[in-house]
Amino acid sequence: MTEETSQSLDSLQQYRVWASTPIDQPPTYSVVIPTYNEEIRIVPTIGAIATHMCTLGEPWELIISDDGSNDSTVQLVNDLGLANLRVVPAKINAGKGDAVRRGMLASLGETVLFADADQSTPIEQFERLADQIRLGADVVVGSRAADGAEVSNKSMARKAFSAGLRFVVMGVFRIPVADTQCGFKMFTRESADLLFERQLIDDFSFDLEVLYLSQKFGLKTVEVPVEWIDAPGSTVNPTKVALGFLRDLATIKKNDRDGKYDRPTTPTSRVQATDEADPPTTQLAA
Amino acid sequence: MDIAQHTTDGRVVFTLTGRFDAHEADAVKDALHAEIKAGHSDLGVDLAGVVFLDSSALATLTSAMKRCREAGGDLVLLSPSDPARVILELTRLDLAFEIL
Repeated sequence: MTEETSQSLDSLQQYRVWASTPIDQPPTYSVVIPTYNEEIRIVPTIGAIATHMCTLGEPWELIISDDGSNDSTVQLVNDLGLANLRVVPAKINAGKGDAVRRGMLASLGETVLFADADQSTPIEQFERLADQIRLGADVVVGSRAADGAEVSNKSMARKAFSAGLRFVVMGVFRIPVADTQCGFKMFTRESADLLFERQLIDDFSFDLEVLYLSQKFGLKTVEVPVEWIDAPGSTVNPTKVALGFLRDLATIKKNDRDGKYDRPTTPTSRVQATDEADPPTTQLAA
Repeated sequence: MDIAQHTTDGRVVFTLTGRFDAHEADAVKDALHAEIKAGHSDLGVDLAGVVFLDSSALATLTSAMKRCREAGGDLVLLSPSDPARVILELTRLDLAFEIL
């Protein structure tokens, strides 16, 4: 599909071309959605994301990175038969961090977004983040805490949990990001490979680790306010999650002291296919 | 999400604007079922301004459509936006509803 042809079609036609015809060039964008037992929510999310992304007029791919679902999520997605959608399955439920890592490293786009399956941050926010990549950012964090964010239906428990986490992350851990946990983050290809090849944490704290590594390697990280609507069905036990975060914060520090982030631990297939001895291509600012 | 209502050619039409998800499903369900209970079984739902429907929204529309048909009428979907149309197609609900 040429760019000229693409731009001459309306969005529904562009979607139909994308849905039926594999792109014949490397994708400009990849969208990675981690899933675990999402048979109820995933299809509408795919529809919304696909329709919007097809309006951008760039080649793109969608990756569903499953976390060992024991419902029909994987079969349901495969049965859609969309030409530019790939499913990255897993035999076990290792955690959201593991699913995101596998999806990010399987992606081929020059710019890669991971987005939660519940559309709590609508895909229409994509351009806000992509604009920052065009302006030179390496990592762009969708934020519910930045000025201008629109947050709807967030419970008091989640607000209290977010405030406590923000205090620990910014005040104690010195990560200059107000909202580390929003499931809407964008990376350049090089920063995605650099960070996700080194990510070691498999559970919900993986965001924190990735942002810690982004700071460690001097990547330009920008926080962008986004619209966020709480999706019913999200189950967060604040006490359990808070204790897990504190444990993982200590683990991240220890990993760093032990030098575990100094080299890739999960090389991409692209790196392996070219030269396994080559270092990551990211230019480090520090 | 905004819900507006008007009557055209004997059909009560609800025009929805915004994101139709679980937070809005009960309000839409109540509005549709109130019309059915009042004896109006020919309903329309205008989806031109709907940017997203989740499974709760789809269930709400399907349930109301079945009740309309049981009452001898129908619930039709009007002018779905591109994302609404694609979501209906991917869930195969475009085969269940009349879409005008």
